[in-house]
Amino acid sequence: MKRILFMACILMLAASTAFAGETLKMGSMSPLTGPYAADGNDIANGARTAIEVIKADGGIPGFDDITLSAQDTACDPRQAVAAANKLINEEVTGVVGAYCSSATLPASETLDEEDIVMLTPASTNEKVTERGLKNIFRTCGRDDDQSKAAIRFMTDYLKAKSIYLVDDKTAYSQGLADNVEKGSPAAGIKVLGHDHVNQGDKDFSAVLTKVKAANPDVFYVSLQNSATGALLIIQAKRMGIDAVYLAQDAVYHPQLIEIAKKDANGMYLTFGYVDTDAPSYQKFIKAYEPKYGKPGAYSAYAYDSAMAYLLAVKKAGSTDLAKVREALLSMEFDGASKKFKYMENGDSGSNYIIRQIKDGEYINFWNAQTGEKY
Amino acid sequence: MEYFLQQLINGITLGGVYALIALGYTMVYGIIQLINFAHGEFFAAGGYMGVILISYLAGQGASPVLCIGLGLALTMVYCALLAMAVEKVAYKPLRTSSRLSVLLSALGMSIFLQNGLMLTQGVYDKAYPTEMTAGGFEWGNVVLSYMQIYIFLITGALLIGLNLLVFKTRIGKAMRATAQDKVMSALVGINSSKIISLTFAIGAGLAAAAGIMVGFYYGSVNYSMGFVPGIKAFAAAVLGGIGNITGAMVGGLIIGMVEIFAAGYLSSEYKDVFAFIILIAVLYFRPTGIMGENVDDTRV
Repeated sequence: MKRILFMACILMLAASTAFAGETLKMGSMSPLTGPYAADGNDIANGARTAIEVIKADGGIPGFDDITLSAQDTACDPRQAVAAANKLINEEVTGVVGAYCSSATLPASETLDEEDIVMLTPASTNEKVTERGLKNIFRTCGRDDDQSKAAIRFMTDYLKAKSIYLVDDKTAYSQGLADNVEKGSPAAGIKVLGHDHVNQGDKDFSAVLTKVKAANPDVFYVSLQNSATGALLIIQAKRMGIDAVYLAQDAVYHPQLIEIAKKDANGMYLTFGYVDTDAPSYQKFIKAYEPKYGKPGAYSAYAYDSAMAYLLAVKKAGSTDLAKVREALLSMEFDGASKKFKYMENGDSGSNYIIRQIKDGEYINFWNAQTGEKY
Repeated sequence: MEYFLQQLINGITLGGVYALIALGYTMVYGIIQLINFAHGEFFAAGGYMGVILISYLAGQGASPVLCIGLGLALTMVYCALLAMAVEKVAYKPLRTSSRLSVLLSALGMSIFLQNGLMLTQGVYDKAYPTEMTAGGFEWGNVVLSYMQIYIFLITGALLIGLNLLVFKTRIGKAMRATAQDKVMSALVGINSSKIISLTFAIGAGLAAAAGIMVGFYYGSVNYSMGFVPGIKAFAAAVLGGIGNITGAMVGGLIIGMVEIFAAGYLSSEYKDVFAFIILIAVLYFRPTGIMGENVDDTRV
């Protein structure tokens, strides 16, 4: 009797898998451990939210289920390639990631060999979309645009005469700081110094003492990590550096305000414009916040990246790279982070603005395109 | 001059923290010749326990002094117990094995503790209630924050307390005896197992205190915060002569100062380079460290 029951169970199991439709397998790549784990988990959670929302809206015809395999890159190029290979073995067809440009660059080439679409929510380095790859799409902006927005803000709004830059030597943070440094003299801003700190540093007292002695109009903070940014701001304020603090999108995170508290007030950050009143943003935030808390800098971009992929698969009716690419390029997306359309090289355009931290909240402050205050 | 003074204050603060962590390395090395790679994790665990306790106490309406005092004391006890447990699980069973096995066990324990912290406390930084210790003195451009003063005072008190314990009490005598010769000290009735366990506990307690002070000073703690200071403190212990208590204090201060002055007068990029160049130079020219590692009387 027992044996018959057992056989019956096996048969039923076999039957259920045989009759089930296909599963749409997605992957995400981001640093889930290490110093950038906060942003990395935001990315995985953003992609998860997109899948939940699509499922709640009735899913995608032809697919019974949508899954996400979240891989850890630790922001390391080698581990990123290993993660890409793992996703290839799991037969995913679309990948959201990675976070660090230095991880996205090699991983996208590995995925390209297997014709797998990669949509990056956070890698802003110019090279990402300048290699002629057909599988890479970028939902966030580009570094060269970001540095221009920063310089424009310093000249047009702040009327700054001098700047001191600090970065933490990653491809992203140093690249951006270098761009700002290069563009400053032409804009009439004197570069008083450009110093580098190490990733994972906690003590910035020495470099801050230097900044204080230089007494710049603008203190430009280009770090890869919001928590480190918070520590630096706290110490800078304690030291009494009364420059205008200007940072960028990797320093942008709710964590920054949580840790630096009132010390963060008044500082400016270059960040992609987000219309928090838009229905598309409201839909995202309603699905995201109850489960994962306040969204980080890249949660919405990851959500949009995953959403774009899912909608493109829905339109193409296939997971084939050529068809999905065609669908992605033909569609206009009303995303949570912005309205966007992918261009031939995979870019979706930058919309950097200046945001400010005011009374413990991020607010839209200055439009870098029009030069007007919000 | 102001610039120099400010950097000096910065250097002493950082050096004090390194000194507290370095003591744990040096004491454990002194007594069982083990480089306890898991030591940095006690520092991180202390930072976390501290923020949990202090936030809880503050939520109960306790005054800042009580919050910090009680939080510090309880956290030190917690980390001491944690270290004793780690010693029992990971090191004691290997007491008679080769030193390499124990070293590997220590590395494993470090990874285990760090990931345990990540899984239980999450990947996000935890913020300290820094408003409790905000403010400071200013002379011209030189700033001395209250937190820096607290760090000087608490570090100083702990160092003096440790010296008294090691050199003036029976327990300290037993520790020194065990460090010199475990078999002989057992013959005269010293329970060496207990003494070793106690050494771990004291070292971890000091690291926990450093964890809380770092949390207040810098504003937040993170699960991976133990690694880098752990390595620096290890360098400090070797610099001072590993196994030598006074050496660890001096070594910690030197590493802290070198780091700050290298960053202040050269570039921040070079601060780690200089901290470790000093280490290499000492190992090359004076392998026993500046204070010497075989001064038996001062060895624990």
